[in-house]
Amino acid sequence: MHDDDIAVTMNVNGERRRARVEARLTLADFLREECALTGTHLGCEHGVCGACTVLLDGDAVRSCLVFAVQAEGARVTTVEGLGGPDGALSPVQDALRAEHGLQCGFCTPGFVVSITALLAENPNPNDQEVREALSGNICRCTGYQGIVKAVQRAVSS
Amino acid sequence: MKPATFRYHAPATLTDALTLLSEYGDDAKVLAGGQSLVPILAMRLSRFDHLVDVNRVDGLAGITRENGHLVVRAGTRQRALERDESVAAHVPLLARAAPLIAHFQIRNRGTVGGSLAHADPASELPAVALALGAEFDIASERGTRRADAATFFESLWTTTLEPDELLVGARFPVWSGRSGFGIREVARRHGDFAIAGAACALAADDDGRLARAAIALFGVASTPWRAADAEAALTGAIATDVDAMEVAAAAVRGLDPTDDVHASGAARLAIAQHVVSLALSDALAEVRDAR
Amino acid sequence: MSGLHSAAGRFVGQSVLRREDARLLTGHGSYVDDIVLPGMLHVAFVRSDIARGRITRVDVEAARALDGVHAVLTSDDLNPRVESVQMQPTMLASMPGAPLRPLANGDVRFVGEPIVLVVADSRYIAEDACDLVEVDIEQLPAVVDFERAADDTHNLVHAELGSNVAQDMAPPVHPDLERVLQDAPNVVTATFHQQRQTNVPMEPRGVIAAYEPSDGALQVWMSTQNPHEVRLACARVAGVPEQLVRVIGRDVGGGFGQKFFTGREELTVVLAARVLGRALKWIEDRRENLIASNHARLDRGTATFAVENDGALLGVFLDHLEDCGAFPVGGTGATGGFVGILFPGPYRVPLAGFHTRAVWTNTCGRAAYRGPWMFETVAREQMMDVAARAVGIDPLDFRRRNVVQAGELPYTSAFGMTLDTVTPAETLEQAAAIIGYDEFRVEQRRAFETDGRLSGIGIGLYVEPTSMGMMDPLSTDAALVRVQPTGKVSVHLGTGSHGQSIETTMAQVVAEELGIDFDDVVVVQGDTEPTPFGRGTGGSGTAVIAGGACRAASAEVRAKALDIAAHLMEASPADLELADGRIAVRGTPSRFIAWAEVARAAHLDSAKLPPGMQSGLEATATFKAPPITWSNACHICTVEVERATGIVRVLRYVVSEDCGVMINPMVVEGQIAGGVVQGIGGALYEHLVYDSDGNPLTATFLDYLVPTATEVPVIEYGHVETPSATPGGHKGMGEGGAIGSPPCVFNAVADALALVGATVTRTPLGPTAVLGALASSYTPAP
Repeated sequence: MHDDDIAVTMNVNGERRRARVEARLTLADFLREECALTGTHLGCEHGVCGACTVLLDGDAVRSCLVFAVQAEGARVTTVEGLGGPDGALSPVQDALRAEHGLQCGFCTPGFVVSITALLAENPNPNDQEVREALSGNICRCTGYQGIVKAVQRAVSS
Repeated sequence: MKPATFRYHAPATLTDALTLLSEYGDDAKVLAGGQSLVPILAMRLSRFDHLVDVNRVDGLAGITRENGHLVVRAGTRQRALERDESVAAHVPLLARAAPLIAHFQIRNRGTVGGSLAHADPASELPAVALALGAEFDIASERGTRRADAATFFESLWTTTLEPDELLVGARFPVWSGRSGFGIREVARRHGDFAIAGAACALAADDDGRLARAAIALFGVASTPWRAADAEAALTGAIATDVDAMEVAAAAVRGLDPTDDVHASGAARLAIAQHVVSLALSDALAEVRDAR
Repeated sequence: MSGLHSAAGRFVGQSVLRREDARLLTGHGSYVDDIVLPGMLHVAFVRSDIARGRITRVDVEAARALDGVHAVLTSDDLNPRVESVQMQPTMLASMPGAPLRPLANGDVRFVGEPIVLVVADSRYIAEDACDLVEVDIEQLPAVVDFERAADDTHNLVHAELGSNVAQDMAPPVHPDLERVLQDAPNVVTATFHQQRQTNVPMEPRGVIAAYEPSDGALQVWMSTQNPHEVRLACARVAGVPEQLVRVIGRDVGGGFGQKFFTGREELTVVLAARVLGRALKWIEDRRENLIASNHARLDRGTATFAVENDGALLGVFLDHLEDCGAFPVGGTGATGGFVGILFPGPYRVPLAGFHTRAVWTNTCGRAAYRGPWMFETVAREQMMDVAARAVGIDPLDFRRRNVVQAGELPYTSAFGMTLDTVTPAETLEQAAAIIGYDEFRVEQRRAFETDGRLSGIGIGLYVEPTSMGMMDPLSTDAALVRVQPTGKVSVHLGTGSHGQSIETTMAQVVAEELGIDFDDVVVVQGDTEPTPFGRGTGGSGTAVIAGGACRAASAEVRAKALDIAAHLMEASPADLELADGRIAVRGTPSRFIAWAEVARAAHLDSAKLPPGMQSGLEATATFKAPPITWSNACHICTVEVERATGIVRVLRYVVSEDCGVMINPMVVEGQIAGGVVQGIGGALYEHLVYDSDGNPLTATFLDYLVPTATEVPVIEYGHVETPSATPGGHKGMGEGGAIGSPPCVFNAVADALALVGATVTRTPLGPTAVLGALASSYTPAP
């Protein structure tokens, strides 16, 4: 802890979190280190891969491009906050499982969050809308085949 | 890839923000959406002793209509350009440009003012502002001033903004009457910075004669680039008589884009010509259909 | 072995949903960066920004003085400890290789080479300290262009090796081949370049090393495909006896070859942890991953085909050159021997020859990337199209004319490789039928003649040598199948699953073999402690080799269980069968004993065991693969080339493949899709670029372009299931998708460009290459 650390309070997955942090601590590192929510992954730390995507006041954003102090008073939802109690999968998570939309799983939390945000805003996207919405997340394992199908499955379920 | 230390300031009022900028000058950087700045900080390509976060400045976001202009406050998220119906109704070019900016997660955070002030020559909003003849409201402790998009963008990532100044809003003129717009770009992948892009705005009189024409290219020079010769050739022409390919060829004359890892200068030039022809065709079709 | 491995098994052959998914979907995976140890410190490296030069000064005082910094180590602190130690992988210790070293010592040999290791309270502070380290380097001319490296005898990447040539293999050329390459009715030559790429696992590399001085134990968490090799390497480099080293890699975020051997930085961190006696974490960032992890695929090949007028191949020759970079992990990183030998591929080629050279350059080292030798397919399949055009035969027909047919198997190539249980001709026909090859040709011509549109179709046909048994320890895997007193089963494997679904597929195999429920079998892997020594996960080897070990161990367990059941039921073991969690008398299903009851007796009630039988119900067994288990596939895709922009869109993509008996078709198709899209990336987008001084220009994800969902087509699959001769009838297939796709896409683009007489020879086929080709072509009237 340093003298110029800044107090920050935010709501993460329904829980109030308070900490004193360095201003330069990214929201991603805050979630991983201060909150022990390690589902938010860092795949590039420059805002391209999308693995760190979280909901900030309901909008999907890159948590590597937001400083934790900027989330003061905000509502943050991570991949851990999207499933049901007792580990039940959300419809998006369940669809990704059913369609083999993940292999190594490292990019997966970002896709789960992005797809959740997409469907919240557009419950019935067409194929182009799906692909464009997914294009901000990089997956190196699946070739996106199962992920695109999973969105279609989540839409129709 | 972690940013270096900085002092963080989150002023709640414009006055406080301007005081901070005045006090710290070159040592401070405005943090808006952060979608370009934070990667630069994370890679330690630049460092600043002070970051002035303007996200909490009261009244810095919002879209309003003001005698013949649509005023987009600087802190307005790029995503709002897609969602706000007044943008589509009054400045359709802006609404059509927004989905071309990166990805929706970036637009959720990135701001209109941030994009204009960052002045990446391959980004959409500076070119749209240039094409439409937008003006920028700029504030500092010294007072306020209004800058014309035509002179605001000086060079790569550089504008006329002084270190103590803050871009607070952009005034996009509403092109009313018989008008048409188009914006097209080609990128290696969806959401990447454009290899080349073009924004086109046309206004015609009742006879279909083009009274006003603007073509701005992006991705082809160190600033967004206005195709003045092509505009001159269009002005006064009958919309239905325009040969878009011919105008596009004129539009890129004199451009000499550089090579980079995504495209050679020659490829960039060819693509620029193509996107001009597409954007112009879109705008011409809209003018023809507008009666 | 068991007779239970038909394609229509209860579990084998079913698209069972994955065990791994629930934790990964909810953010509860356990990747290396998720692990936090008490008192753990963080590492960052100061890296060279000069490709080749002499280090004249390293000043670490300011860095050491920074608050929160615990140590700043240079080569003086670490390198002497490993002077007599092999940093190369265990299996390659006696092979030629780069002179690996922990930190740059005296000189630097590529941009990104680690010079100083900083240890601090956080990664943030460690990077602050890196900024304070002053390094002066006297720059020397760098060897960057791999096509000129061999001739440069003045500027040497590794002065101690005396030459920039890392490998030069030229098997004697048969005089008959020399003759046909001169005298054949058609002799066609073309040179192809494949660009520098890299694996890009979404999780970069990472390691945590904790050395406990009191008991001398070293615990290592690593993002690895190969935990047991990591243990061997760490034991050597840290000087800790192997039995005191434990390596864990629970969840691994992709590797594609990059994490098969133990990286230089990982070993350096382990060594530093041993020296400092502290727990250290190093998580590679993306910039490091792109400039310093490993690179792949930089090849040039000049192919010459001698072709009869009827299209029959008479002889082929490949002159091959590849770039090894400076410090490949894994010998020289050279693949040319495989490239040359595999060059004839699935074709009837009476005469073949090759010459391959590999060179050192002052760039990031070459290492394995999904099908490391795949340039053979690139060069051959691209050349098949060039040759077909030259002799005026459609590329599909040209392949039909030359592909090895079922009736010719086993077929022994000019290099003595024997193809068997493969179906290249069948997959060629299946893929052509699925995509509608003939219909496309009609439509292609119509679109060109009416609208001037350029569309094209391309084929990539190959045989893939999988699960190779020629080289230990890659040849062999072990499995421990352990039945608990309740009858529940754990399977312990030395694998390092990083997306391959091993926790699912190997449970399918064991459940099938033991006739018990899939849900009653758990797979334990990614940890050296509870698992037998294994080969790791790579080289398309899991289904055949780990699967073979699972079957062998299951067979031993099953035999003992049957003996116990036979004793309890007063029946003969030969009359019993295992199914549905019961052991029943064949033909009399009402006479049975529950599997759980047998397990209980085996552990808890020795009185019920046959006389002389010891308690317990578990077995460890190994399986050694045959020299090569071939799989094969045919990729066919269609593309459209936009003439105004040079942008290529892949319209349809078909893969017809034969990986033998599929354990889990869903997983098979997932592996294919991932490989195909990596190959589309290689054909169209991905390119690691250096400037002429050896500075990397593509160190971010904005510049190194990995395909996203908007760049990829729907992939369509066809399956031909020809069992291999291995237990279960499986074949490896993890790499194939990435092997067939680059030439398939290239050929489709070349086919489209051929409509206007334009030619391409290099990837990636971005706008610059395509527009350049169009600009220099003539355009015949449609």
